[in-house]
Amino acid sequence: MVVEKKNSARVEAGQRRVLDDATRQRRLSRQLEALEKDNFQDDPLSSLPAPGPTARLPAFSETEEPEKKKRKTRGDHFKLRFRKNFTALLEEENLADKPEPNYLSALAPPSSLPPRHFCCVCGFPSNYTCTTCGGRYCCVKCLITHRETRCLKWTL
Amino acid sequence: MATLVLDNGAYTAKIGYSSDQVSVIPNCQFRSKTSRMKTFTANQLDEIKDPSALFYILPFQKGYLVNWDVQRKVWDHLFGKEMFKVDFAESSIVISEPYFNFTSIQESMNEILFEEYRFQSALRINAGSLSARGYFRSEPYQLCCLLVDSGFSFTHIAPYCRGSRMKDGIRRINVGGKLLTNHLKEIISYRQLHVMDETHVINQVKEDVCFVSQDFYKDMAVAQLKGHDNTVMRDYVLPDFSAIKKGFCKPADQVVLSGKYKTGEQILRLANERFAVPEMLFHPSDIGIQEMGIPEAIVDSVQSLSEDMQPHMYGNIILTGGNVLFPGFRERLEAELRSLVPAHIPVKVTLPNNPITYAWEGGKLLANDPDYEEMVVTRDDYEENGHFVCEEKFDI
Repeated sequence: MVVEKKNSARVEAGQRRVLDDATRQRRLSRQLEALEKDNFQDDPLSSLPAPGPTARLPAFSETEEPEKKKRKTRGDHFKLRFRKNFTALLEEENLADKPEPNYLSALAPPSSLPPRHFCCVCGFPSNYTCTTCGGRYCCVKCLITHRETRCLKWTL
Repeated sequence: MATLVLDNGAYTAKIGYSSDQVSVIPNCQFRSKTSRMKTFTANQLDEIKDPSALFYILPFQKGYLVNWDVQRKVWDHLFGKEMFKVDFAESSIVISEPYFNFTSIQESMNEILFEEYRFQSALRINAGSLSARGYFRSEPYQLCCLLVDSGFSFTHIAPYCRGSRMKDGIRRINVGGKLLTNHLKEIISYRQLHVMDETHVINQVKEDVCFVSQDFYKDMAVAQLKGHDNTVMRDYVLPDFSAIKKGFCKPADQVVLSGKYKTGEQILRLANERFAVPEMLFHPSDIGIQEMGIPEAIVDSVQSLSEDMQPHMYGNIILTGGNVLFPGFRERLEAELRSLVPAHIPVKVTLPNNPITYAWEGGKLLANDPDYEEMVVTRDDYEENGHFVCEEKFDI
């Protein structure tokens, strides 16, 4: 009796979509950005039900007059002046025109060592590259997991 | 007049009077899902009974102070009557800043210290300069030192010669404790249990089980073995915040190889994660960050200095910051440097016994220095000359 052989996960890769370098780079930088996040979850305060009529509502004014009054308080001035995120501050510094060394020039240059490769599923050293997305894998088992969970999509 | 020393880190503030001891306090605010309306500030963290899914509100972004509202709330708490009871009119402050701090942040800092809090005098300085001061005090015969400061946001390599900072040699690697925790969180969530919301818990896991491998590929091979041969594998018992307040490693004799425990605690099984995570500090390219690792960056930094300085740098490497506490960090760094540096140059890497508060201790020495009064900017001075005088006097 002929036992039907399971299709090779590796060979069928030829028919799959292949991501270009730019997309792969974008995916990588999105992953790296995620590693900079303070929290993965939403602020627990924001998930509270909308405040009832008794709760103090934020005072958004529609008329001009109270707006002007508010501007004068120190707190408001403070917020306007000091509320900037990192990217805005970096831009404001205008470092390209400033003499080195500065924040940008102090960044360690790329390593001269060749990159090492690890299986993106189990983390052990890997020898193979997923033809579709460029992710690394170490064995067929990990390749299948990778296909199901991460390749061309990002579950989690 | 009292002097307050504040090493204002992105994750913890190291604070204390120059006559006193240091306290390490979270420099952030928290929200917990059990008491959602309340925001907890700094060490009020201890009041949260169930810190699962703890939400962080941090004043720093990428190591630079941007969220002043949060920072002021934390400072109000630290300076206030619950903690340090600062009498601003009679107090001076030494406060640390990151290297290459942005001009606008420096100006905001001046304004807040002098105009909002009204400190009598202030001294703003790089945390590394404080550490270097501490080192030269304890080793008066050394001419140079090279600081490796690996903190929450990033890692800096900073050479100092006779007390002055060699600005051209400063290197930054964008790998810090936050990235390591987030990476560990990510791989655990992908491989076994969804813990993406549990930054606080996983940070504790990282501190408890991670280590720096001395022979990376050998440990990788060991971590792949099955059964008792796998000496790297650990079972970590997660806290449930009722019976188990704090996570811990299962003692070796209680480990069940199948991973099925009858007691029903939640277990994380960690093998290559234990050393692959701190490995990012040595090889950021492992996760696609195209930067040198610490040993390579040290060599790059030292080579940018004049040649007669170089041997003194390699002989006086000091580790500061929380990440250097990973077991094996010092040994690995020394071994890697030994193979990168010419054989006739001695390499010595020192791990102080208090790497987190090392800069603070340097700040304490500075505050008790007879020349301290000449280094500060007083409020009168600031009111007369504004930011200009701060820019002149402070070496940031």
